[in-house]
Amino acid sequence: MVLVLAIGDLHIPARAPDLPAKFKSMLVPGKIQHIICTGNLCIKEVHDYLKNLCPNLHITRGEYDEDSRYPETKTLTIGQFKLGLCHGHQVVPWGDLDSLAMLQRQLDVDILVTGHTHQFKAYKHEGGVVINPGSATGAYSSITYDVNPSFVLMDIDGLRVVVYVYELIDGEVKVDKIDFKKTSTAASNSVH
Amino acid sequence: MLKCKLKLPQKTHLPFPPKLSSLVSGSEGKEAENAGGEDQGFESGKELETFLPNGLGLEAEFEISQKVINLEKLRRLSSSGIPVGGGLRATIWKLLLGYLPPSRDLWEKELSDSRQKYSKLKEDFLLSPSEFSRRKDEVLVTNEKHADLDAEASFERHDVSNEDHPLCLGKTSAWQRYFEFTEIIEQIDRDLDRTHPTIKFFSAESPVSKKNKESMRNILLLFAKLNPEIRYVQGMNEILAPIYYVFSTDCDEKNSANAEADSFSCFVRLMSDSVDHFCQQLDNSPVGIRSTLCRLSELLKANDEELWRHLELKNKVNPQFYAFRWITLLLTQEFSFQTTLRIWDSLLSNSFGIQDMLLRICCAMLLCVKCRLMKGDFIDNIKLLQHFPEIHVNRVLRIAQDITPVTSSFNQSL
Repeated sequence: MVLVLAIGDLHIPARAPDLPAKFKSMLVPGKIQHIICTGNLCIKEVHDYLKNLCPNLHITRGEYDEDSRYPETKTLTIGQFKLGLCHGHQVVPWGDLDSLAMLQRQLDVDILVTGHTHQFKAYKHEGGVVINPGSATGAYSSITYDVNPSFVLMDIDGLRVVVYVYELIDGEVKVDKIDFKKTSTAASNSVH
Repeated sequence: MLKCKLKLPQKTHLPFPPKLSSLVSGSEGKEAENAGGEDQGFESGKELETFLPNGLGLEAEFEISQKVINLEKLRRLSSSGIPVGGGLRATIWKLLLGYLPPSRDLWEKELSDSRQKYSKLKEDFLLSPSEFSRRKDEVLVTNEKHADLDAEASFERHDVSNEDHPLCLGKTSAWQRYFEFTEIIEQIDRDLDRTHPTIKFFSAESPVSKKNKESMRNILLLFAKLNPEIRYVQGMNEILAPIYYVFSTDCDEKNSANAEADSFSCFVRLMSDSVDHFCQQLDNSPVGIRSTLCRLSELLKANDEELWRHLELKNKVNPQFYAFRWITLLLTQEFSFQTTLRIWDSLLSNSFGIQDMLLRICCAMLLCVKCRLMKGDFIDNIKLLQHFPEIHVNRVLRIAQDITPVTSSFNQSL
C-alpha cells in the first residue's frame, strides 16, 4: 500500500498566493510515500513545502519554474506500476490524447502523469492510463480561466490502483474515487 | 621405623571450609563453570547437572502425558529447570500460563478456538485500509465492467466525499486510525531490530528471521491496538522474545506453525501480570514500579542487613538504578538467552506468582555478588549491577528459593 501524491501547476506566487486552506489542512507529513509533481511550482519555497510533506519528491520542469535543473521527464517504478512524469507543455497539441500516448509509449510506462492544462483528467488510452492532477491552487492557464483547485492521491496496492481525486468546488472539498487494475505484469501489459 | 618423613600426598589445596556468607557471595565474578569449580566447595558439579534434567525430563514428560495434569506437581518439577529440546518447554509454559487447560482432552478445542480468535483479531485490527476498502468494494460490485475493454474512455468516478479516503481527518476514518499507529509501528520495528542482535533467529538477514520479526510485530501491534491505555512501551519486545522463540522451536509442527497465535495469547497473559510496571501513571502507586522496588529493598534488608546497609545507606545505591530493568523486563537483559529461559522456568512455575519469584531472584543476585559489592563504592556497585556478571544460574535459583520473605505486609513508606 503506497500512497502517491500527484500535484502540480501551482504557479506560486505569480498566479496564486498559496494552496487553498482546506487542502493544506489535509496534506500533512507522514501519510504520503511519494510525491510526483508535474511542475510550475514555481519558487523554491513551494519545493521546500513539498519536500517537508514527503522526502521522496519527483519533479519535472514546467516552463515557469525558477529552478531550471528539474528534468523534462521522469520515470519511476512503484510496486508493480511504472509511472511517467512530464509537465506537458512540451507535448503539442496541449492535452491531445494521441500525442500524450506517444509520450507514454516513449517512456514505456503504465501511468503517465502530466499537467499544464490545469484540468483534471483520468482516462485509459491505448493500454495505459493518463492522469492530469490539474492545478492545486486553481491558477488560470492559457487554455482555461475557470479552474477548480485539484490534486490526485494514488493508492498503489499490488496490481490495483485506487485514485482519489480531491477538488475544491464552491469552497467544499469533493473527493472522487477511481479504481483500476493491471491484468498482469508480464505478457499483456494492458491496464483496464 | 622409617626415619624419613612420611610424605603425605599433596592433595589439591582445598580452601578453608567456606563460611556461610562466602558460599553465597561465591567466586569473584568469574564464570563458575569455566573456573572448574576449585573453590566451589560442594557445589553440584557439571556431571550431576546432566543427570538431573534427564530424570526430570522423563518425569515431566510423564506428567504432561496424563489425562489430567497435576499442575502443582508440574510446577515443582519445572522449577528445577525444563530440559531443552523437544516441545517440552513450550507445552509446559503453555500449561503454567494457563493457556492450556490441565485436562488433555480439552487441548485440541482450546488451541483451535484460540488460534481462530487470533486470526479474526488480526483481520479486524491489522488490515491496511487499502485492503479493507478493496474487500468492501468486492462485496458491493459483483460483475462490473470487466468486459468493457473500450480503450478510449474516461474512468467512472465514485463520489466518496462523505466516505473514507486517505486524507480524511475524521475520527471515525479507518485511514486516520491507521496513520495514528504509524509512529507506534516505527517504534516497534526499531525495537525489534535491536532484539537479540546476536541470535540468528531474530536478527539474521534470512527470510525466516524476517518472518519472525513480522510475526512479533503483529503481536505487539495488536496488543497496542487492543490496549489503548498502555499501547506499546519499549521493552515489551523483550518480554515477547523468549515466548515466541520457545513456541516457534517446538518440535511439533502444528504448534510451531501456530506460534504467532499461541505467543500472542501467552504474551497477553504474561503482560497482565506485569502491565502495571509499564504504566507511567502508576509509577508512584502501590502497584507501580516504585513500590515494587521498595519491596526489593525490604527483602534485601530482611535477608542480609549488612549488605542492605552498605548498598543503600552507605553507598546510596538505590534499587531504581539497577533493578528497574531487572523487574520490568523479567531479567531478559541480564543473562545469556538460554540462561534467561532457565530463569523463566522458575518464574513461571512459582506457586506464589511470577512477581514473588522475580523479587526473590533479584535479591539472590545481590547476595551472590555480595563480596564484590561490599568492597566497592557507589560507582563500582552501579557498574557491577548494571552489567551483571555471568554466574551459576542454578546457584542463584537455589538461593532464591531460600530467601526469607518479608513478613510484614504493610510498607511504612507508602
